[in-house]
Amino acid sequence: MAQPFRKVLESGKFVVTAEIGPVKGTNIQKMIDDIELLKPEVDALNVTDNQSAVMKYPSLGGCLLIEERDGEPVLQVTCRDRNRLSIQADLLFAFSRGIENVLCITGDTLKTGDHPEAKPVYDIDSVQLIQLIHVLNSGRDLSGNELNGGVDFCIGAAATPSVNPVEPQLIKYKKKLKAGIDFVQTQAVYELDDLKKFVEHSRSIDKNVKILAGIVLLSGAGMAKWLNENIPGIFVPGNLIDELAEAPKGEGLSKGIEIAGGLIKKIKDEKICDGVHIMAIGREEKVIDILKAAGISGGEK
Amino acid sequence: MIGQVKKPIKEVLGYLEGKRKIVIYGCGGCATLFQTGGEIEVNKMEKTLVENGKEVLAAIGVPFGEFSCYAPWAIKRIYGYREELKNCDAVLMLSCGDGLQVMREIIEKEFGLVKPIYPATNPMGHMGGGPGLFKEKCIQCGDCELGKVSGICPLTQCPKGLLNGPCGGVRKGGKCEVNPDMECAWVQIYRRLKELGELEKMDEILPPKDWSKTRRPRELEVEPLSPR
Repeated sequence: MAQPFRKVLESGKFVVTAEIGPVKGTNIQKMIDDIELLKPEVDALNVTDNQSAVMKYPSLGGCLLIEERDGEPVLQVTCRDRNRLSIQADLLFAFSRGIENVLCITGDTLKTGDHPEAKPVYDIDSVQLIQLIHVLNSGRDLSGNELNGGVDFCIGAAATPSVNPVEPQLIKYKKKLKAGIDFVQTQAVYELDDLKKFVEHSRSIDKNVKILAGIVLLSGAGMAKWLNENIPGIFVPGNLIDELAEAPKGEGLSKGIEIAGGLIKKIKDEKICDGVHIMAIGREEKVIDILKAAGISGGEK
Repeated sequence: MIGQVKKPIKEVLGYLEGKRKIVIYGCGGCATLFQTGGEIEVNKMEKTLVENGKEVLAAIGVPFGEFSCYAPWAIKRIYGYREELKNCDAVLMLSCGDGLQVMREIIEKEFGLVKPIYPATNPMGHMGGGPGLFKEKCIQCGDCELGKVSGICPLTQCPKGLLNGPCGGVRKGGKCEVNPDMECAWVQIYRRLKELGELEKMDEILPPKDWSKTRRPRELEVEPLSPR
């Protein structure tokens, strides 16, 4: 995985990234185990940034763990918890320590997190964050001051292909393309027709941006229904929920792995987009099984 | 207007613990519309305080239309209450924080008195609408964006204050991630721009907001309005 992510994106290979979810606390052994396990199998590892507005070990810390182990980290930066000074300072630190990839995201609402009384920041939004990184890449800060030692980040954004109405999302995504991104990691997609439409839209505006389809591991019918009801922008179709529900007791997770693997295989075989981003949410070790189910192994890279 | 609600009476009585002689002052502006400090509420507060063993030296209700945060009016009205102010142990304001602090300054500067002054109201911010339902429409950012966003302010209507379109949290049917009862501000803006035939306005990337214009405390100086 030591190859820079930007090079991997340019190589034209089917790109695989996965997500590391940090611990609440300082016991980072599981994160390290997950990193060691997944590092040889994927092209880069994202580390989430206080995901779902739940306070955790920072993305920056997780990315350092990956970098120190010769992995390729993707720093997730939300606009929720830091103002423009703090974001820039973190990015300078990240680059100085070998972290060269950033995923720019708005950040989930504080309301459903574990510190709902906190003051949200949103000093800048995800589009402005992309622009900010370009400014840093040009050797200056957001106020135009020259940097003593610059940065050169590979920039990613998020997108939500399965949402109704989709037009306002696509307009915002167009702004992200206009601001300039190298890759996009989508919200979980289960309806490949939605993904195809999104890819078509994206490529009609900028054909060079690499699109990695989001794959969230389903652990059973209950989780699928919960996602549909509680996580905006995720839609698990009825036939998949039925498949999960029909799985023998205790086999829901295996079915979920099979579904995720099947989706990835189809996306790869039909060349629907440039790769996948696997979010196993607390079951990081299962990424290996998902890749096996998809017929992809580390050796293939 | 400044939306506001009454403070729990227990909290108010807590402030007044150990203070016996009280002056109550209301507001004929927002506090009258929000029924937190109109003449009716001032009278009710007087009754409550008396029931709780206080001596109310003056319960100054303010007629509708007279804002207690406008110093020239407040000075004129409080002027005849010098003795009550001098003798009181505390002043209780049934107004927003502007009204309270303007009155504190008047008492200090015009009467040369330093008196405890307490709020009976929790102000909730700038709101419009009524007569029953009031909604926050404007965060007074000092650099109005409404001309770029079809007359719907995303800094206020979007709980994340996003300037460049919806977040990824929009729910089915275009509802807001944070307040599912509300339509996403950017879905509203999208629909309105579409109807106006100005959808291309949504393509413009708005730059990071200049929040220095909201740096507190802000102040403004205008040519005083001459009495009419």
